[in-house]
Amino acid sequence: MKLNKYFERSLWVFHLNTGSCNGCDIEIVAGLTPRYDLERFGIKLVGSPKHADVLLVTGPVTSKMADRVKRVYAQTPDPKAVIVVGTCGISGGVFYNSYNLSGSIDKVIPVDVYVPGCPPRPEAIINGVLQAWIKLEKLRKTLKDNSPAK
Amino acid sequence: MNYLKSEEIMELFQNRLGKQAIIDSRIETKIAGIKKNTYQVIWIGVKPNFFKEAVKILVELHYPHFAIISGIDIDKEIELVYHFSIYYGEKGKEISINIFTFLSKDNLNIPTITDLIPGAQTSERETKEMFGVNFEGLPSLPNLFLPYDFPSGVYPLRKDEKGVGVKVSEGDEVKKGE
Amino acid sequence: MSNKTYSIPIGPVHPSLKEPMTFHFEIYGERIEKVHLAPGDNHRGIEFMGRQRNPIQIIYLAERICGICSASHPFAFCQAVENAMGIEVPEKAQYIRAIIAELERIHSHILWAGVAAHELGFDSVLFLSWRAREEVLDLLEYLTGNRINYGIFMIGGVRRDITSEQITRIKKTLDYYKEIYGKLEDIFLNDPTIALRTKKVGILSKEEAIQLSAVGPTARASGLNKDVRQDQPYAAYADLEVQAITPEVYSGKVNGDVYDRIVVRLLEIVQSIQIIEQCLANLPEGEIVAEEKLVKLLNLIKKAQGEGIGRHEAPRGEVIHYVKLNQSELPEVWKARAPTYNNLMPWIPMLIGQQIADIPIVLASIDPCIACMDRVTILDRKSGQKNILTKDDLHKLSVEKTRRMAQ
Repeated sequence: MKLNKYFERSLWVFHLNTGSCNGCDIEIVAGLTPRYDLERFGIKLVGSPKHADVLLVTGPVTSKMADRVKRVYAQTPDPKAVIVVGTCGISGGVFYNSYNLSGSIDKVIPVDVYVPGCPPRPEAIINGVLQAWIKLEKLRKTLKDNSPAK
Repeated sequence: MNYLKSEEIMELFQNRLGKQAIIDSRIETKIAGIKKNTYQVIWIGVKPNFFKEAVKILVELHYPHFAIISGIDIDKEIELVYHFSIYYGEKGKEISINIFTFLSKDNLNIPTITDLIPGAQTSERETKEMFGVNFEGLPSLPNLFLPYDFPSGVYPLRKDEKGVGVKVSEGDEVKKGE
Repeated sequence: MSNKTYSIPIGPVHPSLKEPMTFHFEIYGERIEKVHLAPGDNHRGIEFMGRQRNPIQIIYLAERICGICSASHPFAFCQAVENAMGIEVPEKAQYIRAIIAELERIHSHILWAGVAAHELGFDSVLFLSWRAREEVLDLLEYLTGNRINYGIFMIGGVRRDITSEQITRIKKTLDYYKEIYGKLEDIFLNDPTIALRTKKVGILSKEEAIQLSAVGPTARASGLNKDVRQDQPYAAYADLEVQAITPEVYSGKVNGDVYDRIVVRLLEIVQSIQIIEQCLANLPEGEIVAEEKLVKLLNLIKKAQGEGIGRHEAPRGEVIHYVKLNQSELPEVWKARAPTYNNLMPWIPMLIGQQIADIPIVLASIDPCIACMDRVTILDRKSGQKNILTKDDLHKLSVEKTRRMAQ
């Protein structure tokens, strides 16, 4: 059964911590556990970026992690969407003036959805994931329509 | 167990090390709660060449819990503060002991205490990386926190020309106004 | 048969690690022979940033050292500044601080219980415990306004009062936990699978715990009777009867294994409930902050000279902050030490001799908080390199990673 036109198939998410304080990370897990229960939509965390549709990135990207972020992004199959959770990943937040940060996540990899907050509430993260889902389904449709096989 | 009072500990240090070894010493009493219970914090400043001896006295007194080394860059010197606590295990008996010493930047050498307290290794390695202090007797190990290809002679928490400086990249801050 | 050992890197991005950190294990067969720790992936240079901010701003930075210990770091930091300046905190504020800190302990320990169950492949328990955890987050949100990063601490006191009607709500939540605790204890301590995976695994002896300066539940599970709330009672803890919990209380003996660490943490949930109840029963009346006006407080800080340490028993162990003020808006130095920093060295004796499959649970057993521990690590800006590994390293990592994934 399809919920609506956006819910084509289950969405698998890879969570990547790039130097976050854990605040966003535990809210993401809270979003998956029974109170908020993202899993009822078929959304689940996977252990490898190669299985993922969506990258959920938190943290202000420490210099040491910048390269890892790029590698994880490259390993994620297309079509993919990137969600940034938390203010520090968007603008640096409280960590704005450190020398050890490679800057916000969108300076390292392309970002589709921003979820602000320090940390954002699980409801906001769920909303962010749904926005990414909508975008991803549109992307998938475009790919399908333009494929040479047609 | 026989607990010494803060004053007696201080006296012990003075007797064992001699007056010339101690730069500064004070006992602070802190108050907590409605019942106004107190706890004490000891600060002892020793000369670098007596430092190891001071830690030995502490270890003989009661094996201390070692917390961390704080480093402070003060102009021509680097101050190291070793935070210990002794007499844990019983309500209200614990005394914090902070031993500090000043090292001249021309001679940043201090004996390691890892032979007495192995748990100090992490902190000594960190201080070595951040301030360039040489711990005599600490085995040469790869960088703990800094990357292996980090340029030698740059010590990030130093405030002088050997530090990374305070003019940090403000990339994200600039972006705010856009 | 050769004695060749193989090296496995784990991290920084690995499903069993919630936070980035790198480990290199040298293994012989299934047995771990050597462990190399390479932290530093989570370093944000917080102490460096603290140099350019005034102590009131640092409170919020300290809160964000770690999102799970977001009451512990400000608690210790505020105490350090108060000790350096000689400010006396109003009694009521001391009690409110203790209540918030204990609520945080309940949330943190239940969180840990869930993560530990997850590492053992027991996901239904993860969901059960995290559902239970939501109640205390609701309460924290009700009391402070935030689920995480409470923003309630202020130098000289707290920013929000606890009123009598809020006390009823706190009691309601505590009753919920008293009810659910039996269930949690039954799952964790009586389940044969958990016992099989955690007993006699990751052993840390008492001597090692003392010598390596272990802190918190990790030290207590090895029989080391050490708890800042008991040893050097600060704030409201000075009025209360707090006893360090060692596994003897439950089983009569100390093994120092992962199972004992579970026992200690579970019993501490009960202890926290009791502490909050005691605090509520004796909650004094009066002011909640020594200096209400921030501008005035900042002026006091500018005039202050002195140094102080602040210690607090966080859920993971002792947090210690050191602050030196030197008649300036910015502190001369701010040093923060998180419990995982001290529990780093005890990891090595725990892991050696274990099997590869036990790595996740042993790592999780100290309740690591890499975000806390890594705050001091620093990378060079001058070299301008974002990629700090050499190419050979990268290649090696990549090949090894592929191998790992192909398995």
